[in-house]
Amino acid sequence: MKETIKKPKINRFEKMENTIKAKDRVIAWPRMGRIDIPLKALVVSLGAKVVIPPANSNKALELGVKNSIEGICLPYKMNLANYIMALESGANTLMMFQAPGSCRLGNYTKMAQKTLKKMGYNFDMVIFDMYKSKMKQTLHAFWHVTHCLNPFKYYKGFSLGFSKFFAIDTAEKLLLKTRPREINKGDSEKCYEKWLKITDETNSIIEARKLRKRIIEDFNNIPVDKDKIVPVVFLLGEFFVLLDPYTNQNIEKELGEMGVEVQRQIMFGDWLEHVLKPSFLYKKESHRERAVRYAQKYMKRAIGGETIETIGDTVYAAKHGIDGIIHLMPFSCMPEIVSQNIFPKVRKEEDIPILSLVLDEQTGRAGYITRIEAFIDLVKRKKMRKEKNDNKIQK
Amino acid sequence: MQQSRQKKIGIPRAISYYNNYPFYYGFFNTLGFEVILSDKTTTKLINDGCKYVVSDTCLPVKVYVGHVINLLDKGINTIFVPSIQSVAHKINNCTKIRGLPEIIRNVVNRPFKMIEPTLDKTENIGFEDFWFETARQLDITDKDLIKNAIAQGWEMYNNFTKMVKSGIPYSRAIENSINGIFENNPVELVKPLSVVIMAHGYNLFDDRISMKLIQKLEHMGVKSYTGLNVSREDAINSIHALDEIQYWANELDLTGAAAYYMLNKKIDGIIALSAFGCGPDSLMVDEIDYHAKIKGIPMIHLTIDEHTGEAGFITRIEAFVDMLTRKNRKQLQDKYGSKKLITPVKQKEEERVLTNSLA
Repeated sequence: MKETIKKPKINRFEKMENTIKAKDRVIAWPRMGRIDIPLKALVVSLGAKVVIPPANSNKALELGVKNSIEGICLPYKMNLANYIMALESGANTLMMFQAPGSCRLGNYTKMAQKTLKKMGYNFDMVIFDMYKSKMKQTLHAFWHVTHCLNPFKYYKGFSLGFSKFFAIDTAEKLLLKTRPREINKGDSEKCYEKWLKITDETNSIIEARKLRKRIIEDFNNIPVDKDKIVPVVFLLGEFFVLLDPYTNQNIEKELGEMGVEVQRQIMFGDWLEHVLKPSFLYKKESHRERAVRYAQKYMKRAIGGETIETIGDTVYAAKHGIDGIIHLMPFSCMPEIVSQNIFPKVRKEEDIPILSLVLDEQTGRAGYITRIEAFIDLVKRKKMRKEKNDNKIQK
Repeated sequence: MQQSRQKKIGIPRAISYYNNYPFYYGFFNTLGFEVILSDKTTTKLINDGCKYVVSDTCLPVKVYVGHVINLLDKGINTIFVPSIQSVAHKINNCTKIRGLPEIIRNVVNRPFKMIEPTLDKTENIGFEDFWFETARQLDITDKDLIKNAIAQGWEMYNNFTKMVKSGIPYSRAIENSINGIFENNPVELVKPLSVVIMAHGYNLFDDRISMKLIQKLEHMGVKSYTGLNVSREDAINSIHALDEIQYWANELDLTGAAAYYMLNKKIDGIIALSAFGCGPDSLMVDEIDYHAKIKGIPMIHLTIDEHTGEAGFITRIEAFVDMLTRKNRKQLQDKYGSKKLITPVKQKEEERVLTNSLA
């Protein structure tokens, strides 16, 4: 068969719009959890201006739903709203990473671009690809946006960014661990907010490197009830809804206040380090590799999205004495539907309770909380029974 | 050889069957297998499938599971469930099609042997590797035999594509290609209206899922083109001509066909047929909708799931066809000026505009 297909001259993933001068650029990106803090540090130290769209809210959701098609998933709707809000408040360059081949994520930028142009905005969309040669692509994207040639600035930006990512990750992990055990309600939340603010304000590499240690020390000072029996629950599922507290209706806080320790498996800093660092520098077993190893029995190939992580973590949890799994996904998420299909077998063979929650713009809060409460009751009872049995055996 | 003749392999009549069956048939037949197909889709079969998977799963996958169950009920113990991950570099399939073997393995709790090769050109697992892997899982290692089988598969497949492209109805083309008949003189249908149907093969050619959409349109005097009438090159070039890029592996059946006919041939309308909750379709339909609006071509989006009633379905198609007919009539009236139902005042106004523009 003769190849008569004309290939487009520029690869979509390398094509970057360039209608605005570098010095006039005001950069914005969609929100997801707290990634705005480290990214802001990075871009600002490269010498560009930044606009951070307001936090996700009902208003943002409404805006997103109004301007996107019916069948698309929730993360896109939120992203689009972020873009619109950023453009309204003066941004002219939008950044977004994408991992092609995962799911509809790879199509987000293309669609958003078209929708926003149709709405009459003028802007540049800079997309960088997280497939192979990621570091190169990422650097190229940031160069394209800022036209900064000073290597020290890049060093400073990336080092600050990574330190802040890790600091936030640490603070989040400690918050999740301390919240169910704290004696004075609200202590850990306050501590977390305080550190987020400090992290945001830190501006030197040395200070940023110390952040992590200081956060750990500060969290250790919170008075906790050490003897309290706390069930541990893994939080798994789709990347965006896990990291975005608005879309998942702050499930972590809700669970913490019910006296449950949450261990979220996907941490953004962790993930980014694994993705961006060259493989010969990354020595430890990454989260994904661990997931692939544990999921072997149920899945033989990665099929895109976070399916294999979800299944792998579930098996890992069951083997390491975790009490339950809460699985989050946006409505009509393709990879997570496959996970949902695999769950019944895992649940049966590994003997672990799983609650799968589907989120969309219509999720009602009351029903959502009721389901979580019922599940937590079940998990607690199961844990108590298990402990009773263990005591009997000991006697 | 005598023993291996009696070996049977089951192919579910769903998903990749609709586009690739002639290839599968040629390949497995040459390897010495008897190819057993599952029964045609029925409501009972869909209900069987629904019992096994969660309710959010899309209709085609439910149907697929139903077909696998049907094959197992027939007593077939070896079933071919391929995982087609990507067909070119960074052009991936839908997650559920990529994960078909994973779904089947975890959902169907019955002992059987699943042949599950992977085609993933992004990770350099090419087309030949795919078939060698299939043969390896069937305990066949004779390289020449496998290569011969692949050649045989290609021959049948090429015959099939040539026949459908020339306009022979899908079911007859598939039957002919399997029996080794090559038909070359199709009956050209001349109908007053023509539409392009953008839909996946597994939705459109499954008589239960699509409720015989093509035949229904034919009765209404509408000729329908599908993705199979367009060659791969044409489809990709048309997508590029619209300044879009192929993102999904099975995009050519939808955007490819729609873009080709939108650009090159006079069609009166576009019908999009997709399953409820289909991720890729939601994007592709939107893409074509955007261009159709610019070009002024009417478009209808039909969504189907296991509960879709036939009556409502027909009503929607009829309304759409009526609209097309009216639009056509209006155009003819405007062109030849016969039976113009314009009031004299309006006519004068029009004339004034015309003279002004001429001046």
